Amino acid sequence: MPIRPLLLLAAAALAAPALAAGPLQVTSQVMVEAKQRAADGTTRIALVPAQRVVPGDRVVFTLAYRNTGTQPLADLVFDNPVPRGVAYRAPAPNSPAPELSVDGRRYGTLAQLGAAGPDAVTHVRWRLARPLAPGASGTFAFHAVLK
Amino acid sequence: MFVKRTIALLLAGVAAAALGSGAAQAQTPAAQLTTAGTRIDNTASVTYSVNGTSQSIQSTTASFVVDKKVNFTVVTAQTGPTVVNLGDQNVVTTFQVTNLTNDVQDFLLDPDQQNLSLGLFPGSDNFDVTSLRAYVDSNGNGRYDAGVDTQTYIDELLPDASATVFVVGNVPTQAGAKYAYNSLHVIAAAGGQANSQGAILIGTDLNLAGADNIVDIVFADDDSDGALLGDIARNGQGRAYSGWHVAVNNVALSVTKSARVLEDGLGSANPKAIPGATVEYCLLVRNATLTTGANGVTLADVIPGHTTYVPGSISIGTPGALGVCNVNGSTEDDDDNDGTETDGYTAAFDGLAKKVTVNLASVGGGGSVAASFKVKID
Repeated sequence: MPIRPLLLLAAAALAAPALAAGPLQVTSQVMVEAKQRAADGTTRIALVPAQRVVPGDRVVFTLAYRNTGTQPLADLVFDNPVPRGVAYRAPAPNSPAPELSVDGRRYGTLAQLGAAGPDAVTHVRWRLARPLAPGASGTFAFHAVLK
Repeated sequence: MFVKRTIALLLAGVAAAALGSGAAQAQTPAAQLTTAGTRIDNTASVTYSVNGTSQSIQSTTASFVVDKKVNFTVVTAQTGPTVVNLGDQNVVTTFQVTNLTNDVQDFLLDPDQQNLSLGLFPGSDNFDVTSLRAYVDSNGNGRYDAGVDTQTYIDELLPDASATVFVVGNVPTQAGAKYAYNSLHVIAAAGGQANSQGAILIGTDLNLAGADNIVDIVFADDDSDGALLGDIARNGQGRAYSGWHVAVNNVALSVTKSARVLEDGLGSANPKAIPGATVEYCLLVRNATLTTGANGVTLADVIPGHTTYVPGSISIGTPGALGVCNVNGSTEDDDDNDGTETDGYTAAFDGLAKKVTVNLASVGGGGSVAASFKVKID
């Protein structure tokens, strides 16, 4: 009988990382560029939730992060594999440029990687140089095109 | 930079529309487009350290479902109108439909007569073919095969694949018929079920938010006929035009009649036209127009006075040489019941009017047929 609670505890410990209940919350979001007609007749490009996306559409993937703990978090590395069917294009405005990789191992700029163009990018990565203070937050984002 | 790019894309779109349906557009092949219904998931993995201890987590997953970008072209796959003759059956104009959608599609075919002269050909539309139909080139040989190419809609066309479509009709025997314009109206329909005609696609209302987890239908097809009014952009439909041209309304048909005394009843080597002699009349019909046959050719000849028709003497066949009227001639009966005559030619002798009637059915382009009959001089 005393074994059973132990087993349950072990199961809970294993499940904990998957729940992302730790001090760092990272939310991924995807938006799509849509032409919207304003009341004055002009057309502007707005970002809307990715409900209608067809090949050729430009989408924006966003990672929003926040330290909800009480300790500073150091050595933060955000590694985002580019989803299949999507071609990396550029960092979003107001977002730091990510390091790029064409194999998931070596990171750098396209020129450093010897890549012909952004289509070859398979992973993007951001690293925070300084520890993330408790309560601090930020976003990274990149533009991509649905193939 | 993004603004510039968008403008460039818009300009490219306008240029393509102005060039019309036949212009190939530089665009990603449809087979390389992400298939409609594909779910795109984005998840980042994050590592960090707390007081020197490494930790890792996954971000939440952002996802969406790729929607259906319906695009296709329909073009005329022939130069100029199809040249036909009056009375021709199963005449064809040829079109090609190419699926540029990121999914398998059915396409419904709707052939139309065009009564407006579209200026595509030198002449105006002045007749309609009958029994207008549209069929897919099922066996893919580029030719319409009656009874074989019977599919009336394009079934399960893969991205980037093309199907040849025939618009088929019968040319009426209408005097003066010159040009008949037609068009093929193509409507995108749902694919996914082989050997079943899909329902016509209805574009998801662009003013309503599409749901994340269903495949919206977004029309991306161009105006397939440019300045003409048969199609508009982004409607999931397309139209291309063609037509038929009756180039020859008449043929150079000639009939030459000659007579030859076969025998004079006296056994002469060189028989003379004396009472009791048998004379063969030969009617040689020539069609000097090489490209066009003459249909329904009928000859009528009243035998001369003072002669008597030799019963059962009508013979029709290939013209002979050296005075012989015809060789391999078929003997026709004299009655006007044509049911017993099965060689394609029919003939009759009217004893009251003393008239020989010969029906040659058709004389092919550049062809000739000879008919003969005999009389006895009274």
